[in-house]
Amino acid sequence: MTELERALVALGSEVDFPAEPDLRPRVRERLERKRFARPLVLAVALLVVVFGIAMAVPPARSAILRFFHIGSVTIERVQKLPPAREAPLAAGLGPALPLDQAEARSGVPLILHTRRPDRYYARPGLIATLLQYRGKPVLLVELQGDQTGIAKKFATPGTTVQPAQIGSFGLWLAGGKHVLYWEPSPGNPRQIVPRLAGNVLLWTQNDRTFRLEGALPEDQMLELARDITR
Amino acid sequence: MVGRPLDESDLIGRAKRGDTHAYEDLVYAHQGIAFRTAYVIAGNAADAEEAAQDGFVKAWRALGRFREGAPFRPWLLRIVANEARNRRRSAGRRAHLALRAATEQPSGDAAPSPEAAFLSAEQRETLLAAVNQLPEDQRTVISLRYFVGLSEQETAEALGLPSGTVKSRTARALERLRESYD
Repeated sequence: MTELERALVALGSEVDFPAEPDLRPRVRERLERKRFARPLVLAVALLVVVFGIAMAVPPARSAILRFFHIGSVTIERVQKLPPAREAPLAAGLGPALPLDQAEARSGVPLILHTRRPDRYYARPGLIATLLQYRGKPVLLVELQGDQTGIAKKFATPGTTVQPAQIGSFGLWLAGGKHVLYWEPSPGNPRQIVPRLAGNVLLWTQNDRTFRLEGALPEDQMLELARDITR
Repeated sequence: MVGRPLDESDLIGRAKRGDTHAYEDLVYAHQGIAFRTAYVIAGNAADAEEAAQDGFVKAWRALGRFREGAPFRPWLLRIVANEARNRRRSAGRRAHLALRAATEQPSGDAAPSPEAAFLSAEQRETLLAAVNQLPEDQRTVISLRYFVGLSEQETAEALGLPSGTVKSRTARALERLRESYD
């Protein structure tokens, strides 16, 4: 360590940081709240049914879908999309890897019951690959757990968002471009570059969120989705 | 260096099995460095406190994916720093963290700490002013490395940067600071 670095360390002991709050009471309260929230699961399931019915009514749909989470994905309704550009489907997901390395890096064992490609993309909590279906490229992304904010979408009123009959809860986004952000990961800040996304099917099943994106109509995307998780 | 419980891996194991008391001990051990890291990134105390709190809650939910035997602190700080960055980004502002020296002097005849004795008052003011004049990316790296006490790798994880970038930013910042300090 140079003299300057020693001086900086010395200076650090005199920098006026704000008093450190004791975070334990609030963290404890939030953990307890989550624990007691489990009995509410049935009520939430009921709410999902009601939500599905309300989604069939366009005015209610637009009001409800301003902002919500599905699994590890957040969707937010906006009047104007943030700046973004067209980019390849796998943009922002890092380098292509063989399956074993991708699973090790992501911590997510791939669920894919169709023919498996050779190249995969991985980030903590996320594994992805490009499939070919009916001659078109489709990006499959699988997100582990209930951590929110791995992916965020901004959609304008031009994008229709409607329930899809798949998994425990599914959504179909189509009819307009929306902007997708992947959460930045350590070691690659460029991954936060937003891009315009096309038709997307999102669904949750067990402890996993699935996302399919490509230029396919809803019925074909559902067909592929059911093949993946059959 | 922040003190850590000797049985941290034991605490992590218990927390993974749902023991909130064990997790509280982990919060206590790391809340200081988590808050200061968030403060440097978010730029204000209120956002830093929320980011640290949210980070601890998200870390609890993600404990199942925490690799046994891996160091807990960098993993936690990555989550906290990400929360701090989100706050800064969503508020649409540029954090300008103006660091100040503590004004409180040791009372009575208490001897100054060895660190404080290293710098004269004039040197301290000059160096702090030079740090505050650094470009934001360099000031953040210097603050995390030398004021918060993170390692190069922890700084890289917290900022979501390759460690080579942290190394080069640190070198550039030190070069600028040397002009003021020498």
